[in-house]
Amino acid sequence: MKLETGNLKLGSHEFGSRLILGTGKFSNTETMIRAIEASGTELVTVALRRFNREKPDDDLCAPLAKLKNVTLMPNTSGAMNAKEAVRAAQLGRELSGSPFVKVEIHPNPHHLMPDAIETYIAAKELAADGFIVLPYIPADPVLAKKLEDVGCAAVMPLGAAIGSGGGLSTADMIQLIIRDSNIPVIVDAGLRAPSEAARAMEMGCDACLVNSAIAAATDPAAMAKAFALGVETGFAARNAGLMPKSEVAVASSPLTSFLG
Amino acid sequence: MNLMVNGESLEHNGDGSVGVLLAELGAAPDHSALTVNGDLVFSKNWKTHTLNDGDTVEVLTFVGGG
Repeated sequence: MKLETGNLKLGSHEFGSRLILGTGKFSNTETMIRAIEASGTELVTVALRRFNREKPDDDLCAPLAKLKNVTLMPNTSGAMNAKEAVRAAQLGRELSGSPFVKVEIHPNPHHLMPDAIETYIAAKELAADGFIVLPYIPADPVLAKKLEDVGCAAVMPLGAAIGSGGGLSTADMIQLIIRDSNIPVIVDAGLRAPSEAARAMEMGCDACLVNSAIAAATDPAAMAKAFALGVETGFAARNAGLMPKSEVAVASSPLTSFLG
Repeated sequence: MNLMVNGESLEHNGDGSVGVLLAELGAAPDHSALTVNGDLVFSKNWKTHTLNDGDTVEVLTFVGGG
């Protein structure tokens, strides 16, 4: 298991927070901003869509620009293939000025599972073009290694389906990815509870990306803070070194010399 | 000239400049990215880029996303 300490390193950038926030599904912009601030995150995802003259308030550029120490990571959601994802990434970089891109290609709206082949093609092209590429992927150790080989800055395997709250259903496969990876492994999608984020970090993940669990909480800002604590706790526990498991009981108190 | 903007037909009354089109739409220039006929037009080139009758234009901005 890797024992990374300190900042999260993505490409040439470093982040003090290991929690990445998505900005979708919030009831309004003010709630989203409060959640971002409460989380302490330094990296948030955004999506690119047609400007809607009927809903100019949907534009997040202005409110996000007011946040200090927060970097934008445009995603390529809506792209059905690698070609569309590359174009979305270029538009996102033009608009944000950020080199980060979350490559996200999921053509089936029913399960939103990432298309591994198109994701690989897009990630390879974007990494060669100088992007800091973080692909959202199925929890597949072979694919993860290939994405590392083509220059991705991290891999982001899903814990469960997007927005499902299914938790870390792919934990065993994520463990295999962590074992072989030389780049950060970030759980993206599926987390519902901060305890799951803590478990992911204890397993050896380098960060967690959370959106729905925070946006859909009764109190999003409070849940954002709770996830930040979960990530921090899991990371601290991992670096402290978890005790080995035993199949039998191991007494904590002496079993001999009791009252003479 | 007639333009197809974000999937809708639009009678553009300006001189074909990107800035006038964005003003017509109410879109903030520094919050917008643009494609014309599928090609990305960088903001640094907006002043010199001229839209033509029949062009298909996409004006994009950031919204919430995970």
